[in-house]
Amino acid sequence: MAEIVVSNVSKRWDSFVGVHDFDRTIADREFLVLPGPSDCGKTTAMRMVAGLEDPSSGEFWIDGRAANDLEPEDRDVAMVFQSYALYPNMNVHENIRFPLKVRGVDPATHDERVRRASAMVELDDFLHRRPAELSGGQRQRVAPGRAIVREPVAFLVDEPLSNLDAKLQVSTRAQIKNLSHELAVTTVYVTHDQIEAMTLADRVVVMKQGVVQQVGTPTEIYGRPANAFVASFIGNPAMNLVDGEIADSSFKAENALIEGLSAPEGALTLGFRAEDAEVVTEGGQINARICKMARLRDATVVSVRIGGSLASVKADKNYRAEIDDTVSIRISTDLCHLFDTKMGERVGD
Amino acid sequence: MATKAESRLTTLRAVSYALVITWLIIAAFPFLWTVWGSFKVQGDFFSKADWTNAIYGILTTRETGGAFTLKGYYGAWIQEEFWRNVFNTMVIVFFTVCISLTFGTLGGYALARSGFRYAFWVLMAALAFRAMPHITLVSGYMLPFFEWNIWGLKATTVIVLVAINQPFTLWMLHSFFLNIPKDMDESAMVDGCTRFQAFWNVIVPVMWPGVITTGLFSFLLAYNDYAVTSMLLSKPNETMVPAVASFLGSVQVQGNIMFAVAAVVSATAPLFVLILFFQRQIVSGLTAGAVKG
Repeated sequence: MAEIVVSNVSKRWDSFVGVHDFDRTIADREFLVLPGPSDCGKTTAMRMVAGLEDPSSGEFWIDGRAANDLEPEDRDVAMVFQSYALYPNMNVHENIRFPLKVRGVDPATHDERVRRASAMVELDDFLHRRPAELSGGQRQRVAPGRAIVREPVAFLVDEPLSNLDAKLQVSTRAQIKNLSHELAVTTVYVTHDQIEAMTLADRVVVMKQGVVQQVGTPTEIYGRPANAFVASFIGNPAMNLVDGEIADSSFKAENALIEGLSAPEGALTLGFRAEDAEVVTEGGQINARICKMARLRDATVVSVRIGGSLASVKADKNYRAEIDDTVSIRISTDLCHLFDTKMGERVGD
Repeated sequence: MATKAESRLTTLRAVSYALVITWLIIAAFPFLWTVWGSFKVQGDFFSKADWTNAIYGILTTRETGGAFTLKGYYGAWIQEEFWRNVFNTMVIVFFTVCISLTFGTLGGYALARSGFRYAFWVLMAALAFRAMPHITLVSGYMLPFFEWNIWGLKATTVIVLVAINQPFTLWMLHSFFLNIPKDMDESAMVDGCTRFQAFWNVIVPVMWPGVITTGLFSFLLAYNDYAVTSMLLSKPNETMVPAVASFLGSVQVQGNIMFAVAAVVSATAPLFVLILFFQRQIVSGLTAGAVKG
């Protein structure tokens, strides 16, 4: 139960910037997710909180204590590694008990605490197996078991689901959500999977090349991305980004004319989500030929060419048309996002 | 009826068996011959008249009344007090192995986990020293050892053997440590271990096969060494190998070849036992299942 303050923290290796000026207070009991593509500095940021990496500059406070000079063992945070990092010479019981043992917790309480933790991660039946004798999904649960057994002030979780198959990912994600709700401990969770980020997080910090792009709740991040990078990273399919220009309060690009947008005149990028637009018989703001169609179970995705890039729109699952048919697309101006074409920053509201 | 493929397989098998048996004979015969001969008298084992005397023991029967004799062993162990050399060897080998492994595991771990470039150069330098003939190093030690009056002591030899052996143990253990994921020590540290506790509680238990294999090689180096031990040890501190050499004699001193043969057999036998005993540890890998499969 603790607040983690990360104050202007940077990490550099020679000229390479791992994390640039990370500044964020992680509230007590908050579930913070750091999504981002590979090498965006999310894992480095978390490792610095754990004390496994020294920051080049900046300060940490964990639970009100200055943590910069604390060794990992003194920070009282628990970490779940991507590779699980189980101790192969110990069985599940000994693995989960290990933190209690090295921290000198009263041995009389060990058994009960291990039992409680293993019940939470549903491993009670496997306590006497070694990691080598467990399936992938079971191994994956040993690490969180080892993390919760000692009731740390915070959890740090590094892509725990990336080694599981799709079905197991969904059920484990639900388990993690339950677990974090039950334990109500401050959690920092790193993932490259934006669906994981959106479903688990209280708050999301999107990073790119070491720089924080946007901080907000999943709804904010999804509904009002701060720049074109966040817009294209969050959401599936990615947000459509179309280069064009604004003149007389309307956005103009090849095949598109959207009126009623208040923004300064000049070149801008329009963003809209596939699910926010609808295919109509006629009278839409976008009229173009269909380049590509994909039938999903719940929708038909129609792709058209606008202003030099391909944009996708979700139509009804019963929608039928041929490639090269002309299609009309309507979109509410409330759901249009405008970004600076060069810098990618959000323009207007 | 055997098909073509089957008969080819049989031929292949026959050839491979023949090769293995030939190799076994070439490798084992000298040793078995020596073991057999060690129970004969010199006149038989080094017979000038007829080599079959070594098999039938004509002279042995004539001299001692039996086809086998323990005279060689008696002479070496009791008369020449070979047991002292055995004891010296045990002491020197024990300390060489323990010290080499202590520095080797700590140093190998540090080098494997160090992110700095110097780790590479330390290992390169180690390799260069390892490549030198031992005798070139020993000649440099002689003068200071005489000056400080520590020549001839067992401890001095242990230090020199450790120094010669260390590059190898560092290399070997370094590569074993590299195979153990860094996540394991980091996980242990977050769980509440100091760096050393992580090393001791988590890494070393997984490392046993590597430690035992490296220890065995250090053992063999110290056990078999002639260059260092013959130059640096005084007569009462001598180990088995130089003792065997002195049994053989030199131009000035009349030796007793049968004592040497008996001593050689005594020195070799424990090695077989050792290798048989540790073979499982040498082969096994404990790391299975440590990280994602």
